[in-house]
Amino acid sequence: MKIFKNCLLAGLTALALLGAANATIAQETDQVGRAPYLESLKGKKVIFVPISQGMDLNQAWVMVWQRHAARYGFSLEVRDPNGDTNAGIRAMQGAIAEKPDLIIVQNPDVQTYARLLKQAQAAGIKVLQVNMQSATQTDSYVGNDWIEMGRLEMGELAKHCTGPKAVSHKVVWLAGVQTGAANIYMRTGIDEVLKANPELQLVSDQPADYISEKARQITETVLQQHPDLCGIMGIWDNAEVGAGAAVVAAGKQDQVTIVTNGAGAATGCESIKNGLLDVIFNFNAPIQGEIAAQQISELLQHPERKAGSEKTIFFGPITRVDKTNATGRNCWKPEDIK
Amino acid sequence: MPGSGKADDRRLGFKASQEVVVVAISVVLFVVFSATLNNFLSQGNIIAILKNVSILGTLAVGMGFVVVGRGIDLTMVAVMVVGVAFSIWISTWGVDFTLAVVCGAILVALIGLFTGVMVAIAEVPPIFATLAIASSVYGSGRIVFASDVLYAPPNIAWLKFVGNGSVLGIPMSVVIFGAVAALMGLFLRKTRFGRLVYATGDNPNAARTTGLPTRPIIVTQYVISALIAFTAGIIMTGLVTGIDTRLYNSSLIYDVLLVVVLGGIGLSGGQGGVRNVIAGTILVGILTNGMTILNFSYTSQNLIKSVILLGALAIDAIINPRDEQTSQSGDI
Repeated sequence: MKIFKNCLLAGLTALALLGAANATIAQETDQVGRAPYLESLKGKKVIFVPISQGMDLNQAWVMVWQRHAARYGFSLEVRDPNGDTNAGIRAMQGAIAEKPDLIIVQNPDVQTYARLLKQAQAAGIKVLQVNMQSATQTDSYVGNDWIEMGRLEMGELAKHCTGPKAVSHKVVWLAGVQTGAANIYMRTGIDEVLKANPELQLVSDQPADYISEKARQITETVLQQHPDLCGIMGIWDNAEVGAGAAVVAAGKQDQVTIVTNGAGAATGCESIKNGLLDVIFNFNAPIQGEIAAQQISELLQHPERKAGSEKTIFFGPITRVDKTNATGRNCWKPEDIK
Repeated sequence: MPGSGKADDRRLGFKASQEVVVVAISVVLFVVFSATLNNFLSQGNIIAILKNVSILGTLAVGMGFVVVGRGIDLTMVAVMVVGVAFSIWISTWGVDFTLAVVCGAILVALIGLFTGVMVAIAEVPPIFATLAIASSVYGSGRIVFASDVLYAPPNIAWLKFVGNGSVLGIPMSVVIFGAVAALMGLFLRKTRFGRLVYATGDNPNAARTTGLPTRPIIVTQYVISALIAFTAGIIMTGLVTGIDTRLYNSSLIYDVLLVVVLGGIGLSGGQGGVRNVIAGTILVGILTNGMTILNFSYTSQNLIKSVILLGALAIDAIINPRDEQTSQSGDI
């Protein structure tokens, strides 16, 4: 009898405990703030106007954002002008006319979209700029600290090309597109380093237009003029492989240091392993994409804030990659991001 | 020209003088750069000049061949980048790269065939046909390949040789350009087919009336120019380990036209040859090399090149005057 009583008591206690636990779980299920978050993102419309979706960095960003959009129920449309500035202007005009909740834009240069971005803000559309800034500052910018990038790259060359051991003090700057934000700001950083290291001699600053064959041709010509060249710095790993090819063809890979930056794609790491490039300042496009995804959430969560009322900037990480660390997360492949 | 009675003689005299003008400008630039720029005259720099124009020159040989037949092939750069990118793309499935290149060549030949049929049989003016086809070829490639830059698989011995090898101290890229130019020169001058190309270019209607197979000739021209464009793409892949399809958006196709017109191949067809292409190529090579050494900006380099193209077109208009006959037969 006593045993029966005890069992009943134990059973009842267990049930009570279970019920209590259930009640607690039920309360925790609704994660604090989740419902309003979902509500604020659901059904929103985001339009991205890139420079060209053919670039590795763009592919990484869009993969990250599409995952974000699919999970939280907002739409992401990519209007790709494929490197054509006029098509880009039309894409921007079209985007503004559609009044989306957010426009993401990668500017081909600092001027082209400057006025359109003002129009978008005036029309109440929030604008997030990625990696390439316009002269107009908008709600948010996520991307590189380009002045720092210029400083890092030329600083790297300064390490190799100053002092008594240096083969010479001659360095080359293989620019991209001269009116692009990256180009303009990197130049500021470069000039700072050149000022601090007066013995460095900038013997050529030609734009390779982000094309590897152009980079190769310029490098080949410059190497003839300056056979004792010490270093080359560039703006995109996929273009500077051309410079690397010219240096290898001249048999000077041990003499000339080639420094550039890139999205951190595995192709860049391959170029380091093949001896075409020495150092890539890797701005890890998937992480940039994640930071921008947080900005998308932030901007969509606060519809009450007027477009352009708050201006924020987020510089992404920059990792120095050479042959010792050209592995793992420093060398992503598109299939890794999915 | 005073003193010359026949119209043909007069045109011949002028024609020679345009080539002479181009060669003379080249010589002047060469002398000025040699005197003013360090190391310009070095053996290494001369080879660098040739190497840097090998792709442009190869493309220009193909373009020249089409222009001689009174056509124009604006698909060349699109065909070059998409053909090679296609080869690289299928090699990523595990297909042997050499076999992939053969497949790329077949694809490119088919595109050339299609262009030729559009021009010769559908009789779409070549400038519109090739402009539209260039855009669709590039567009299709852009959808299929996803990335702009495609890298060839590493450790392909023959591809490395194309990029870095040399024969008797001459880089392979220059050797290939020379070989393509020599073959084309012989083909145009020494074969019956070559002479028929001139006849077709000079007066297509007369050629057809006299029973020449003008349509097959035109189709063949576009197939050959596509294959030459593909060859240029392979040279580029050898040199820089990959192909950048964004070249389609660059001014390369206009540079190719510049070389052809500058060298003195009249856009009204039937005149000029490979020698003109080489004259134009070398002038552009010397000019670009000098401007790079002088550290001119990209924009001013393009400006100078454009002014020269405009000048060449103006000279062309004076030397090869449009008459009633040429303007009636669909002059581009």
